[in-house]
This record gives sequence, structure tokens and C-alpha cells, in this order.
Amino acid sequence: MQNPYEVIPADVYEVIQESPLIRTLRFKPKKPITFKTGQFIEVGIPGIGEGPFTPSSSHYIVDDMDVTIMKTGFLTEQVHKLHAGATIGIRGPFGSNYPLEKFKGKDVLILGGGCGLAPLRSLFLTMLHDNKDYNSITFLAGAKTPKDCIYKDEVSEWRKYDNVRFIRAVDEVPPGEQWAEDVCLVTKLLQKINMKPDGNPAIVCGPPVMMKFGTFDLLKYGYKEENLYLSMEKKMYCGFGQCRHCVIGGYYACKDGPVFTYDQIKNEEAIWD
Amino acid sequence: MIVNKNDFHSFLKKVNNGLGNINEVIVPYRARSDDENPSFHFQRFEENKILFLDFFRTIDPIKILFYLFREKVYPIKNKNLKRVIVGVKACDLKALHLLDKAMLQSGFVDPAYKQWRDNSLIISSDCDYLHETCSCNLVNGHPFPENGFDLNLSVIGGNYFIQIGSERSQEFVELMKKEITVANSTVSDIEIVKANREKVFNRLIEKNNNLTHSGDFSEIRKVEHKSWEEVSEACIGCGACTNICPSCYCLILNDESTDKDFIKVRSYDSCQWYGYARVAGGGTPRPKMTERFRNRYLCKFDYMYKNFGEFGCTGCGRCTEACAAKIDFRQVVKNVSSVAQEVN
Ligand SMILES: Cc1cc2nc3c(=O)[nH]c(=O)nc-3n(C[C@H](O)[C@H](O)[C@H](O)COP(=O)(O)OP(=O)(O)OC[C@H]3O[C@@H](n4cnc5c(N)ncnc54)[C@H](O)[C@@H]3O)c2cc1C
Ligand code: SF4
Ligand code: SF4
Ligand code: SF4
Ligand code: FES
Repeated sequence: MQNPYEVIPADVYEVIQESPLIRTLRFKPKKPITFKTGQFIEVGIPGIGEGPFTPSSSHYIVDDMDVTIMKTGFLTEQVHKLHAGATIGIRGPFGSNYPLEKFKGKDVLILGGGCGLAPLRSLFLTMLHDNKDYNSITFLAGAKTPKDCIYKDEVSEWRKYDNVRFIRAVDEVPPGEQWAEDVCLVTKLLQKINMKPDGNPAIVCGPPVMMKFGTFDLLKYGYKEENLYLSMEKKMYCGFGQCRHCVIGGYYACKDGPVFTYDQIKNEEAIWD
Repeated sequence: MIVNKNDFHSFLKKVNNGLGNINEVIVPYRARSDDENPSFHFQRFEENKILFLDFFRTIDPIKILFYLFREKVYPIKNKNLKRVIVGVKACDLKALHLLDKAMLQSGFVDPAYKQWRDNSLIISSDCDYLHETCSCNLVNGHPFPENGFDLNLSVIGGNYFIQIGSERSQEFVELMKKEITVANSTVSDIEIVKANREKVFNRLIEKNNNLTHSGDFSEIRKVEHKSWEEVSEACIGCGACTNICPSCYCLILNDESTDKDFIKVRSYDSCQWYGYARVAGGGTPRPKMTERFRNRYLCKFDYMYKNFGEFGCTGCGRCTEACAAKIDFRQVVKNVSSVAQEVN
């Protein structure tokens, strides 16, 4: 019998400062963690606590993972204090994943902002692995200012693929900062690109307001409720449907989610809070 | 089977002392013997104390014996403990049934809960005396066990009528047969038990007559905020109701790791507390007390109903008994369900 509370120790070997508030930890679990992109893990610091985070690396790599974590409170502040050489504890993976099978042959739209880019990077990297299976991949990524953009060093690599578009926008460019790309809310980028909503999937992840308005915009453009994939963030402890913290009506965000179609949860309460 | 009460008690005494490799017997004892309104606690069997097996449920919910207030869940050791719990009531059997669904049958197994479950033999008993707050009848229950027990006792005068509810109780029954006289029950014994059960059930229905609701909660979410504000006005958000509820099992997972080992410990949480659903940046979907109050009722009658196919309330009445603000759970259920009916 597998104990779902089992902790797998992992060695952090690199810490990347992505932006003032966001860091990526690269670590090697002592035991491979086989996950499907979209699923999450519990990342814990011994004696401090743990929190749910989505791997931001491809699911094809199971013995070397990344998590991208934004500093928002006590736990994440401790995470940001970690250096290469630290040991962390991983539980999981838990929850639902992005149904890649359904995306094959389609024009896939990925829309995200802030730390919501973490799961989307995982999805994106996983899809790039077999990018010819998809008709096209369009990734719209938002950040507050140029300084807040993450995964900076990878962008040029991502832009090399024929059937892939990676488009960024920042909300504003403060004096003294440089920016040659779009300046607008990430959802506004939807107007710029030639969208083919018909039967194609759109995947959204980001801060609650962005998810909410992004979803409404996509619906307006003609995306179908059942083709809109959202990663829901709720408070989580156990990760597998037993602590009840993440309940969304009759669903568990941890077990039935975190990936839901809008169609599944549109009638539930407080989904954007 | 029929056994004499005194015989059975002396048998329990031997079992409590290690007969059958059993480590302990847990029974309900009166919390305070001088109190005019009796109340009961689960305690370790003691030789000279009087057993009351035909009363209502204990103050403490059955979960304190299976899903402890604080318990280590990783790493997990074998407890190597065999115990017998006597005098469990029908409502608490329902609670265990719900906990089983959450902890054992949801795809992931809580290892500590599973051990307690595997290591405990449950001897339930009929309720002949009711508590003011008893209301199992309002949530499809009865004041007598129907399933979920290993053995069940019904009092008939100076004897217990024993019903077998599981295969695994066989060993215990064999042990009992070796120690004390076990007679076969007759048709008339069964008739007596049946008649008594019916009598008590009718008394319960009578008692809760004014609190009866439609039983249909499909529209409960549509009840307006205003109605919830009215019924929750007195609530101070203490969380006593959820902590004492046998079917509330929300947990906090604490990290108590040392330099050498990862250690995970769980303890009770309460959806009535502000921080319960707080996420990154301090946001919470239920900032107001009314919303958290409402959540408990929706959890029992809507969300758990969706998760488990039955109500998450056993009708034990403990939340009503424990409420600091003297809020009667049954009354609230009745009020909102009738509002829901109107909304429809
Ligand atoms: C499925 C899922 C995936 C996530 N993926 C990422 C990601 O890839 N990158 C990222 O930066 N953030 C992610 N988050 C959010 C992240 O879990 C929270 O930001 C983080 O737990 C909050 O840390 P804190 O320092 O603010 O918590 P504290 O102020 O220390 O207190 C919050 C405590 O509550 C618990 N908690 C449980 N769930 C949450 C939650 N959702 N939000 C806040 N606290 C929570 C934690 O145990 C934490 O210790 C994800 C959340 C979910 C539900
Ligand atoms: S609620 Fe029902 S089963 Fe529980 S103690 Fe009261 S009468 Fe017995
Ligand atoms: S909600 Fe109240 S009556 Fe129902 S099981 Fe919980 S404590 Fe008992
Ligand atoms: S016990 Fe009563 S006062 Fe306390 S949280 Fe529950 S309903 Fe509110
Ligand atoms: S995180 Fe515990 S039930 Fe979802």
C-alpha cells in the first residue's frame, strides 16, 4: 500500500532568479517522480512546511525537475532562501493533467501570466518535445513589467520552431526599462493573433483576475466551454481529496483538478476567488 | 445469540486483560455520575464501573478513536494493537462509513486511519434512551445499527441479544463461546427487539416532529444570503461544531521534520475559521462568517452528497449540544430547506 504522505527527498542543484519575486528551483528527486504535465506536487522544506506547486519542466524528464515559485508569504519566503545543495521533500504527483491526446492535430492556444506561467512552461516544453503532433502552438505570456518577465533566457530557443509562436506583453514599461515587444494586458494579445477557436483548445493559467477575464474573452471569441482548460488554485493540504480544503462544490481541486474545463466548473461558486 | 449481561461483562474484563491477544476494550462510561442529565465518554474498560450500552451516543465523536486529533501519517509504524470498542451507536457507525469513503475508498488510503480500522472490532448497540439533540431519523438513519458493525447488542431485560454483522467477528464469537454461556435466540427474542426498536424510533420521530424537513437539498445553494445571515447571526465562529462532528474530517498537515527525517503530522482544522481556505496573498473565498457558516451546511448536504452519494450528517446532534451560540443545527436545516423549497 502506497502512503500518499510519503516524502521523497530531493537535492536542489540550481536556483535561478527569474524576476524580483520569482525563482526557479532545479532539483533531482532521490526517486524518479513520474508526472503528467498539469499535475502538481507538494514541495516541502523540512521543519517549515509544504505547499502545492506545479512542476515547470517537461514531463518527459522525471529525475530532474523544475519548480517556479513566487514569493507571496512565509513558506515561499523560506523557499526563496534555499541554495544549491539544499534538501527538499516532494510528495505527489497529484491531480489531473492536460489532456495532450485531445490537443494533437489542433491549433493550441496557451494564455498565462505571472506565476501561472509555471505549469504552462511544463505544458509548452512537453508539447515542444513532439511539436509536429500539433498543428500550431501559440503561447501568450504576460507580466507586469519587463523586469517581471520570467524564463528570459529560453525565449529565443522557443521562437525557433516553425509551428510555434511565443508572444509576450507587459502591462507597463517603467522609466528606465527597455522593452521592444507588446505593451498591453496579455488578454489584449488575443485581438492581435489570428485565432481559430473552432474546436481548438485554449489553456489558461494565471492570477485569478487574469483567468477570469481571459476566460470570458476566449468565450467571446468563440472558444467552446469544453475546450477551455483552467488550472484552479485553491488552498491545499493533502493533495489527494482528504483534507477538503480545496473543495469546489462537489469537486476537489486537488483530485478532480487542478486542470478543469470551464464547462465542468462554470456553475460552481467562488471559482475565481 | 443471547448472553447474560453479567457474563458478558466478565468476558469483557478478561478480554481487556489480554484474552484473545486483544490489548484493550473501550466502552462508554458516564462522564459524571452525579449529573442529572447523563453524558458519556469512551474510556478504557474498568472492572467496577457500570456499563450503559442502551443510552445515546457519547459526547466525543467516534472519530477520536480512529482519526485522532493529532496523528503522525509519515513515516508510519505498525501499531500492533488489537482493540474492541463496545457501545458504538448507529449514528457513529454512519460516521465511520463516511470516513471509510473518504480515507479508504477514495483512491488514496490514509495509512493511520486504516490501521485503527483494521485493528478494531466494533460492537455496537441499540439506543433505548435518547438525547435531547438526537436526530438520526432526520437524515435517513435509525436509532439502531443496521450495518457497519462486527457485533450488535440489543438489551432484553438482563440479557443481550447479539447479532453478527461481519465475518471477522467469528473469532471473537468463538472466544466468547468458550468463556461464557451463549444461548440461541428464539423467534420471540427477535420480536421483542423489533418491537422495542420500533417504539424508540417512534419516540424519536415524535420528538423531532417540529424539526422535520423535506429531505430534498438539491436547491440549497439557491437560498439567498439574507436567509443565511438570519440563521447565522449568533455564530461566533469558534469551530466547536466541526471539531466535535463525527463526520467532519478536514485536516491540517504539519511538517515536523528533523534534520534527519521527514515527518508529517495531521490535525483537525475547521472550515469555520477564517484562515481555513486562505490562499497566496491572503485571499479567501469565504471572508464572512455567514459564508463559512453556510459552507458547513452545504458541505454536509450538497458537496458530500455529491462526493459520497449520501448526506454528510449522521444526526448525532453533537454540534447542537456543543454550540457556544446555542444554535440548533436541526432548526437551521429545517429553515433553509424550507426556504430552498420556496425558491424552487
Ligand atoms: C495546484 C496548485 C499549483 C500551484 N503552482 C504554483 C506554482 O507553480 N508556482 C507558484 O509560485 N505558486 C503555485 N501555487 C500557489 C502556491 O501554492 C502558493 O502561492 C503558496 O503555497 C503560498 O505560499 P505562502 O508563502 O504565501 O504561504 P504561507 O503564508 O506560508 O501560508 C500558506 C500555507 O498554506 C498552505 N497552502 C496550501 N495551498 C495554498 C495555496 N494555494 N495558496 C496559499 N497557501 C496555500 C501552504 O501549506 C502554506 O504553507 C499553486 C497552487 C496550487 C493550488
Ligand atoms: S442520533 Fe440516533 S443513533 Fe445516534 S445516539 Fe441518538 S438515537 Fe442513537
Ligand atoms: S453536523 Fe452535527 S448532527 Fe450532523 S453529524 Fe455533525 S455533529 Fe452530528
Ligand atoms: S459551534 Fe456554534 S458558534 Fe461555534 S462555529 Fe459552530 S455554529 Fe458557530
Ligand atoms: S488538497 Fe486536500 S482535499 Fe484537496
